[in-house]
Amino acid sequence: MKKEIIDKLRRVLQTSAVVDDETELLVYECDGLPLFKNKPDVVVFPTTTAQVAQIVSIANEYGIPFLPRGAGTGLSGGALAAEGGILIELQRMNRILSIDVENRIAVVQPGVVNLHISQAAAPYGLYYAPDPSSQMSCSIGGNVAENSGGPHCLKYGMTTNHILAIEAVTSGGDIIRLGNPAGEMIGMDLIGAIVGSEGTFAIVTEITVRLLPKPQAVKTLLAAFHSVEECSQTVSDVIAAGIVPSALEFVDAKTIEAVEASVYKAGYPLDAVAALLIEVDGFREGLDETSQAIVDICRRNNAYEVRVAKDDDERARLWLGRKGAFGAMGRLAPDMITMDAVIPRTRLPEVLVAIDGMSERYGLAVANVFHAGDGNLHPLILFDSRHPDQVEKIFGMSEEIMKLCVDVGGSLSGEHGIGFEKKDFMDLVFSEADLDTMMRVKRVFNPHGRLNPAKIFPSRRGCTEVGKHGTTSTAEIGKRVEEVLLGAPSGRGRRTEGAPGEG
Amino acid sequence: MIDSVPVSKVVQPESIEELSQVIAAEKGAIVPLGARTQTYFGNPLRRADCAIDLSRLRQITEYNPADLTVHVQAGVALGQLQHALLENNQFLPLDPWSGPEATVGGIAATNSQGPFRATGTIRDWIIGMKVVEVTGRISKAGGRVVKNVTGYDLQKLYTGSLGTLAIIGEVSLKLRAKFGRTATAVTRTNDADSADRLVALIRKSALQPVACEWIGPENEIWLRLGEHPRAVEWQLQNLPAVEWTILEGAGESAAWERLRSRYHALGPIILRVVGQPVTVHEIIKEYRPAAWIAHALNGIVIAQIASASDIQRIREKYRAVIERAPVEVRKEISTFGLNDAEYTLARKMKDSFDPEGRLNPGRHVDGERK
Repeated sequence: MKKEIIDKLRRVLQTSAVVDDETELLVYECDGLPLFKNKPDVVVFPTTTAQVAQIVSIANEYGIPFLPRGAGTGLSGGALAAEGGILIELQRMNRILSIDVENRIAVVQPGVVNLHISQAAAPYGLYYAPDPSSQMSCSIGGNVAENSGGPHCLKYGMTTNHILAIEAVTSGGDIIRLGNPAGEMIGMDLIGAIVGSEGTFAIVTEITVRLLPKPQAVKTLLAAFHSVEECSQTVSDVIAAGIVPSALEFVDAKTIEAVEASVYKAGYPLDAVAALLIEVDGFREGLDETSQAIVDICRRNNAYEVRVAKDDDERARLWLGRKGAFGAMGRLAPDMITMDAVIPRTRLPEVLVAIDGMSERYGLAVANVFHAGDGNLHPLILFDSRHPDQVEKIFGMSEEIMKLCVDVGGSLSGEHGIGFEKKDFMDLVFSEADLDTMMRVKRVFNPHGRLNPAKIFPSRRGCTEVGKHGTTSTAEIGKRVEEVLLGAPSGRGRRTEGAPGEG
Repeated sequence: MIDSVPVSKVVQPESIEELSQVIAAEKGAIVPLGARTQTYFGNPLRRADCAIDLSRLRQITEYNPADLTVHVQAGVALGQLQHALLENNQFLPLDPWSGPEATVGGIAATNSQGPFRATGTIRDWIIGMKVVEVTGRISKAGGRVVKNVTGYDLQKLYTGSLGTLAIIGEVSLKLRAKFGRTATAVTRTNDADSADRLVALIRKSALQPVACEWIGPENEIWLRLGEHPRAVEWQLQNLPAVEWTILEGAGESAAWERLRSRYHALGPIILRVVGQPVTVHEIIKEYRPAAWIAHALNGIVIAQIASASDIQRIREKYRAVIERAPVEVRKEISTFGLNDAEYTLARKMKDSFDPEGRLNPGRHVDGERK
């Protein structure tokens, strides 16, 4: 990149907030999806909205691409600098600006870690509901970009249902404010369009979120099954019974094996073919009955063990296994990738059987740990990146999984986004007309296409070469999860993971 | 006549494909119509060469109870839908003022709402849409599963844009199970100050009403509870200590139906003033509407306003949408009161979808600047 541009950036920001050293840039060559790598030309660390606007103006002046990045935990390559350019790292905009207890809202900067909002609101009996598995490290700005979910969005909705107002820098460098603290749509739902646009519509620099009162009580159950069918049937029966669980999570035998051999040991039954982690919350009154109704449904479907957590510690332990599952996979293979797809929940059994078949055919082990309640699958493909043929196989297998999910009426992504990873699968669900209309909307927000290019749309629509190589070792992921789950400095980590709603 | 604009012709397509053909063939101004419960909403219509009555698109195309999803054509009436869902003890948790005869497409296009907002408005329940664009092209956004982040959420843009970007042809919705029990507690307070104190108590309590309405000038508070039967019972036992009348069953439904009639009796100018929970009292005190229905826990006051000049006055301090007003008023004052950023973006959006301005001309952003 021209020295002139770097100098200009340095005039806007402190010298230390502009990084163009080749070695340091390596850190930013990918996000949480290391299958694709490309270095940005420069990384900047603004601390104010005005700085973001100035950076965007500089990028436009020189006609170079730019994109926002939060904690870099995204799993679809959304924060990959696919065409180089300026990576705007928002981690230093990490202040919680206000918590309005009476009106139940919080105003935060995009770099604030998801979990920190709930922690800051906890003294007032409030919390922020969407809880992606990476909530101890992912940023709220990233959540807004991706419309993140999490186990508890089954009952409480995704990020888009909790964002009331935003301040953003447009692709042209203007600062705009949209929405209002009541979250009332006035005119066109522009916030609804921006949330989930994967950083291609605007750079969000301030966010007003809704806070919810913590539920009076929470019950967490674990049910173990000898067959996937019975386990899946339980999922359908719970929903059909009119129960609205706050979470309904599926773990398979492979996951249990890994978890139980790891530091996330949660006491999951080792002989289970599949198990469900089910949580209900709300008023104390009636919750025992609801929980008993779930136990009965599990028994009717031949659950051979149903355990209702007796206290918060036991609850926390059950969740530790679920949330630590990704990190625990290192026990089984040196590398893994996390797939994300959605199917109608009634199609679970057949889809899992088919994925099993693929696993055999490709010779790659697959562990399944996912949000069963809303049909959001997360097959974890285990492999060894030292064998290049395995990496190639992953691309084939992931494409097959996508096709399968779309064929049964599902979709490409439930919460990770399309980003760079799945853009070439978009044709599977969307027609030429659908994509053209989406592109038209993109041009309204991002007319020159400089903001986060080469994302979402199939590459035949103009894209570049990006290295398809490298993977994160499961050991690395494990280390990261471990730090956060077990070593949270506040000492709250063990108690709060996965269940901000606990009261 | 709509907004005193004569309608040259009305067509009634019976399928999305036919809708697409009609739109492709039409070169004039196109006006989509549902059950016509909201034709007074929006900036004044400018032209109506071809009104498209969508009431024959009334198929529930697919209902998957176990997946909690339903896919309906735009002309399906809300009442018709709720009736079908009842069979599986499910519902769409919305009760817009426009009532059971309003169509799903119309409710979506107008972002029509009612007291029941604890689980959001229609935007929060739509998971996908099929629309017909001004060229006649059919396109879709979102999907058919309850959780989905594939592609841009264009269904959110179509929701509330009054058919000015594209005509809604089909809507996919997620659903929820009916509550185990509902009950409504009603009380009348002495004055606005007491009503405000009561609402504050409720807000700070462990109660979680699905609707909390402050109705004036009588200063009645209506609380609707919906949950597991025992949770509803617990809430009834823990209401703030004032004299409550508890309504259930047919009596409860009738009461909310009466409130809906009351909404329709407001006027001729109804403004939706958007504040915050703590400013509801201030809005009522400062602008003294002759009558109001406030969604007290959402900070929204539906106010009957005496004169058009009050709208301007209120907008100096609060965001406000004109829910209903004589066309003369709407010619003078914009319906949404968009700020510059909102206007600029929405205007660009409109121009990119409908460069000739033929979809419901004047109704939305294209009629905002007077």
